[in-house]
Amino acid sequence: MAGLTIKNLYKRYENSGKKKKNQKPNDYAVNNLSLECQQGEFIALLGPSGCGKTTTLRMTAGLEDITKGEVYIGENLVNNVHPKDRHIGLAFEDYAMYPPLNVYDNIAFNLKAKGVTKEEIDKRVREIAPLLQVEELLDKMPVKLSGGQKQRVNIARAIIRRPELLLMDEPLSHLDGKMRQAMRTEIKRLINEIKCTTVYVTHDQLEAMSLADKIAIIDFGVLQQFGTPAEVYDDPVNEFVASFIGEPPMNILETTIKSEEENFFFTFEGSDLKIQVPQRYSKVVKDGFRCKVGVRPMDVLIGNADSKGTPEKVATFENLGDERRIGIHVGDILLMLITEEETRYKAGDIIKLEVRGEKTHLFDLVTGERIRE
Amino acid sequence: MNKSKGRLSAILQNGLLVIYAIFALFPLVWMVILTFKADSQMFTTTFIFTPTLDNYNEVLFKSDYVKYFIDSIIVAGGAVIVSILAGVPAAYALARYDFKKKEDIAFQILSFKFAPEILVVLPLFMIYQKLGIYDTYFGLIWVYQLISMPLLIWVVRGYFEDISVEIEHAAQVDGYSWWQIFFKMLLPLIKPGLVAAALLAFIFAWNSFTFPLMLSGTSVQPITVAATKYLASDSVHYGQMAVAATVSALPAVIFALCIQKHLVRGLSFGAVKG
Amino acid sequence: MARIQLEKVTKKFGNVTALNGIDLDVKDKEFFILFGPAGAGKTTMLNNIAGIQIPEEGVVKIGGEVVNQIDPAHRNTAMVFENYALYPHMNVYDNIASPLRSPLYKKDEETIKKAVDRVAKMMKIDYLLERLPSQLSNGQKQRVALGRALVREPNVFLMDEPLAHLDAKLRNAMRTELKEIQANFETTSIYVTHDFMEAMSLGDRIAIVDHGEIVQIGTGDAIYYMPCNEFVAQLMGDPEINLIPGTLKKKENDYFFTLDEGVAEYQLPAEEELFKKLEDSESEKVDLGLRPQHVKYSFEPMEGFLKCTVYSYESIGNKSVIIAQYKNLQIRMIAPNGVTLKLDQDIYVNFLLEHSLFFHAETKEYISRYNEAGILALEKEQEE
Repeated sequence: MAGLTIKNLYKRYENSGKKKKNQKPNDYAVNNLSLECQQGEFIALLGPSGCGKTTTLRMTAGLEDITKGEVYIGENLVNNVHPKDRHIGLAFEDYAMYPPLNVYDNIAFNLKAKGVTKEEIDKRVREIAPLLQVEELLDKMPVKLSGGQKQRVNIARAIIRRPELLLMDEPLSHLDGKMRQAMRTEIKRLINEIKCTTVYVTHDQLEAMSLADKIAIIDFGVLQQFGTPAEVYDDPVNEFVASFIGEPPMNILETTIKSEEENFFFTFEGSDLKIQVPQRYSKVVKDGFRCKVGVRPMDVLIGNADSKGTPEKVATFENLGDERRIGIHVGDILLMLITEEETRYKAGDIIKLEVRGEKTHLFDLVTGERIRE
Repeated sequence: MNKSKGRLSAILQNGLLVIYAIFALFPLVWMVILTFKADSQMFTTTFIFTPTLDNYNEVLFKSDYVKYFIDSIIVAGGAVIVSILAGVPAAYALARYDFKKKEDIAFQILSFKFAPEILVVLPLFMIYQKLGIYDTYFGLIWVYQLISMPLLIWVVRGYFEDISVEIEHAAQVDGYSWWQIFFKMLLPLIKPGLVAAALLAFIFAWNSFTFPLMLSGTSVQPITVAATKYLASDSVHYGQMAVAATVSALPAVIFALCIQKHLVRGLSFGAVKG
Repeated sequence: MARIQLEKVTKKFGNVTALNGIDLDVKDKEFFILFGPAGAGKTTMLNNIAGIQIPEEGVVKIGGEVVNQIDPAHRNTAMVFENYALYPHMNVYDNIASPLRSPLYKKDEETIKKAVDRVAKMMKIDYLLERLPSQLSNGQKQRVALGRALVREPNVFLMDEPLAHLDAKLRNAMRTELKEIQANFETTSIYVTHDFMEAMSLGDRIAIVDHGEIVQIGTGDAIYYMPCNEFVAQLMGDPEINLIPGTLKKKENDYFFTLDEGVAEYQLPAEEELFKKLEDSESEKVDLGLRPQHVKYSFEPMEGFLKCTVYSYESIGNKSVIIAQYKNLQIRMIAPNGVTLKLDQDIYVNFLLEHSLFFHAETKEYISRYNEAGILALEKEQEE
């Protein structure tokens, strides 16, 4: 088992034919990416499609050429090492199982190729099969398996080699809702048990938040933030990360700071909503300062009768059983509020808004960078 | 290093393609040249000759060529029209409905194309004589269905299958009757396949030789059969033969050029399920 | 006038009975939800109301009139299909205008333009009118499909999982948007979904459908707080409700719930109405239902807390779910995002029993719950 170190990694595609959908005119698919994954850690590469996460994974695997930069698996520089010598396990989105072999042989294929003895192969397959719940499938042919079953076999095939590094690229993408959640739990328990260093690519932030010890958020080939789920959720470094993590996403609104008596208030165009600026920002803001303010729906609160919050009209009220969601128009944007309070409202009712000061974030209007106190 | 490798292979590829193109097109070019050559200069191997329009004159104006040409149009065109009128509804039925032995019937229709014409033409000759439709337009159009219908049904069925049945439901709910749905919604969507299949069917029908040879005589003579007339008993008028052949190829070539863009798309689109 | 009624409707496909004696009564202008898992028969119901399919038995009525023999075109319904069913060879404008150009509902071009523009603005697609469906994203196609339905004034809107093929972010946003424009509908609507959030948020009343039968009909709150059986209880809510098997024991006037003989025994908080219902039901073996938000945890041992181990910890957006394991039982509870914990570590779990529901362990049917009277009062209030 080894750690993974990526230093200043770049990737540029030679032929223009390979441009991805979302790519900006800037040439680099991966742009100066550096990160370090400790031995036994589970990290996720998260970002929208076309952001360069799969490209990074493929360069780590050796399936793509590295334009510039270095990749170390453990202590070894592997830039020019053939994939088969990198001691990695691959579980990729497209299952690519060998159709003429049954599940047992598919899983064992790699070990056979390496000349492992029959007894050893059998021992390892029987060891791994129950972890992924594929014991009943061992003598079936790939064509008879469901999507979920194929995916489990895929993962079994990757980990049976006891690789130093396990690389997974959206292995659950073809599964639906409940199955996906169940498989996610199983993967987490499995990885926890075999304690394999894992790099997991996904565009689903729930997956990253649930599975990873640390998440690397990437946009347009550039690393935005590399931190634990708690860090990226509570302490995002910029607007992109703040709005990418969390569902429903963080409310982010353009605001102008106005001072009134001795306090500062966030004011918004097209609305008479006023929210008091938390104390900790008092040194950073001044009257007329324009920026963006972000606050998660769970941190917007309904004030009680003597609250000092501005009264606002409810635009949408959704009762979802476990929680209630209220939408309020602020200019063009719908501010979302989630609460567990039982009171039922109707569109048109007036409520007072407050926010949890310590959970409010400020972002630069132009760069989107977080403004810290 | 990659770049120059790419260049070399590109030159090589293009070179091979040019050679193949010359190989394929040369006979056709030669044939067109022959149409302008007088019989006396027929066997010169160089391309130096005095072009003449005598052959065209002979064939087009002094013989019955035009009649033969029209016969071909009636028979091939008629066959395709009948195939469309009967084939499109058949394709719709195969695509939308489920009935006993559906796939067997579908395969049987396709199998008509497998049988070599020469195999079936003798029994057909006797049947046609008995029915009295030997040497008639009706008879040829009918037998041509063996050539044109299977392909049409197969391609158009694929197109119908690709159209989600929900679109028909949506149109019903919107207030359209079945006929309107067929003409306003379905027909435009199968058009590429229909046109491509119809054109191919037309070409096959136009080129058919065995059927008109055996199943028609003097009143109906498509040009495939009529062209043999130019193999005169005394000598072969190659120039006139060449004219007959060239002019007879024209309709298919013109059609194909007009819709070449749709041809590949039309034939393959229905087959590939997204 | 568009009350929709289904009376004893049965629909078969070969040997499969898709609908089994369905009785349904949707009031005029009601927004009615058909909710249930995949394959339950919801789309079949919609197709039978629209006239795309005809039932083998039973009667479909629209506005009081039996419509079994009437073809779809004449039933005056508008439908949004799960896969949108947009006409691929027409642009967005023509797609939306198509119902108003059919021989039955024909209007002149000027009226059509006004209607299409109104709908396009409402669905926020006015800048897409010239595009073809192949040039639209899923979210845009869905709006066009909705627009095509809304452009008419039909007896009823039928919507078949319109948000199904959108990713989670877009689905949440579209649902909230639909909620906002719902007020403008003014027409009976029947909406099919397998997502309970859509059902609860949008519906005036919900019918739970399973295997071709209607299991329960009620408002969102009624079904959420008083599900008629365990199946319904598990459908509503994410994460799923906890169903804890155990035994009830009565000692004098108190009830005790035993999860694990000798280890976990809890005294139930007293409530007269509940205890009476429990007694009437004469059941000893019950499943105690407790929603995840009513289970508290601690990483330190605490008095009265049950010792479990952490089975999993997963984010669900703005909060996370911890699944704790006690022997064979898995217990779900809510936690904030970003808690530091290790799988299989100890966790101590406390049940807020004053929110429990009770089900028969064998029949899986609902017995009663705490504060039933309060819930019923809330519901009465809502009906006004």
